[in-house]
Amino acid sequence: MSKESFEQALAELEGIVARLEDENVPLEEALKLFERGVKLARRLRGQLTAVERRVEQLLAEAAEGEQPPTAPFVAESEGD
Amino acid sequence: MRVFQVSELVEAINAQLAAFGEVWVRGELSGVKVAASGHRYFTLKDPQGQLACVMWASQADRLRFKLADGLAVLVRGVLEVYPQRGSLQLLVQELVPEGVGELQLAFEQLKAKLSAEGLFAPERKRPMPALPQRLGLVTSPKGAAVRDVLKVLSRWPHLQVLLYPVRVQGKGAEGEIARALRYLGKLGFCDVILLVRGGGSLEDLWAFNEEVVARAIAASPIPVISGVGHEVDFTIADFVADIRAATPTQAAELVVAQLERQARRVEDGFAALQRAWQRRFASVANRLALASGARGLAVFPARLQHLATRLDSWRASLPRLLRNLVHLRHRRFATAQAHLLGWPVRFGAAKQRQVLASHMAMARERLKALLLRRSLEVAAKARALQALSPLAVLRRGYSITTREGDQTPLRSASEVTVGERVVVRLAEGRLRTLVVGHLAGSQATLFEDPGRGDEQGEL
Repeated sequence: MSKESFEQALAELEGIVARLEDENVPLEEALKLFERGVKLARRLRGQLTAVERRVEQLLAEAAEGEQPPTAPFVAESEGD
Repeated sequence: MRVFQVSELVEAINAQLAAFGEVWVRGELSGVKVAASGHRYFTLKDPQGQLACVMWASQADRLRFKLADGLAVLVRGVLEVYPQRGSLQLLVQELVPEGVGELQLAFEQLKAKLSAEGLFAPERKRPMPALPQRLGLVTSPKGAAVRDVLKVLSRWPHLQVLLYPVRVQGKGAEGEIARALRYLGKLGFCDVILLVRGGGSLEDLWAFNEEVVARAIAASPIPVISGVGHEVDFTIADFVADIRAATPTQAAELVVAQLERQARRVEDGFAALQRAWQRRFASVANRLALASGARGLAVFPARLQHLATRLDSWRASLPRLLRNLVHLRHRRFATAQAHLLGWPVRFGAAKQRQVLASHMAMARERLKALLLRRSLEVAAKARALQALSPLAVLRRGYSITTREGDQTPLRSASEVTVGERVVVRLAEGRLRTLVVGHLAGSQATLFEDPGRGDEQGEL
């Protein structure tokens, strides 16, 4: 589920929609396109919502390949 | 008259020059050289005269801008004759550019230098990622900028922010910013980095005009969006960044707008898919209604019987097909789950992990049910269409025979006589055919046993 594949899948979905709007596409192919399109759209929806909102502040750097310690961050609401 | 030793005379002159005190001189720099020691040597000149100058490294290193030939400057210093060479020189204590501010000059100089290196070139700019979900935020944890950014980002519930807190002004701020950019680049967690700071004076924003920050932005493996100061403020960081936003708020807006745009594209695609399919379905059904109304395709019960058999066999294989689909979906979900758990749940409390796990179990059940329902819908549509399509009938090897110039299908061999021309319509193309005889038997089965062929005639 790389980020590149998101754009590619989205482009493919849009291509499928364009193809489906062509009446000359044989029925079997239309069915296949439709199925593929539905699969893509679901996958894309999944990717769009795969991450849950979270705001963390980095507390310190960590050695390469390791995850740094973090803590939830809330911005102060008053003062500049 | 008194005769001097050389050094004596030079000393006497220098004593006189000391009485001259500090002077301010206006002129243009020429022949600027930096010695290995760091001392700067140059000539100050105007159209009629010139004056050798030296500026010690201790003073010169404090300049924000670089000494360059042709620069119009004002210098303050004291005059002396350099004894070893007997030449007059000005020991420069202070040097300021004329006409422009010192910071402005430094800005222009660095801008010209980095521009010449191609650091601002449009082809270096990377676009906004397709799915900017993990944001690195480099800014001060206090102040308006971080608040503005988070406020805008809260509009989209599916993104994560990793704040790398830095000082954004004062001595050393530039080093912290550059370090943050380098670290986030190495960490590799983020899709995009926001480098932001609220408005301030040129002096306040200065860190964003430092070369070390510009270099760190240029070297970042992750696209950087800058949002420094107000609309009118342009910093070197803005020029090097992949995307320049006018303000911190706008930098965040760009990210959210991208996510909203992508979500809209997906939903539009989904809706268009369903519309296109419905249109297609309706048009096939229409054509079928036309065909069956006038031409009586439906009067072949044997063919329908055959279709029903086919449908049954499809139905039998459907559960296997669905199992495969569910399995596939499941695997994909497992991948997504692994991805989610990778960060930052690891740092979170165990309780949050539990909550997440129960959400996931619920989501998995819902996904399964949804998938099953959708798969059934699609399969049902497919069956209906296949069964209804006259083309499908032809494709299975049946044909429709009509008299030449007449659209009514022939149903009985007795409707034509020997020598008549008929048209046979196949799945692909048509044949003009000459009738050369009748076969025995009135009730033809669709697939004649070849052994029972009558000798009376042949097609």
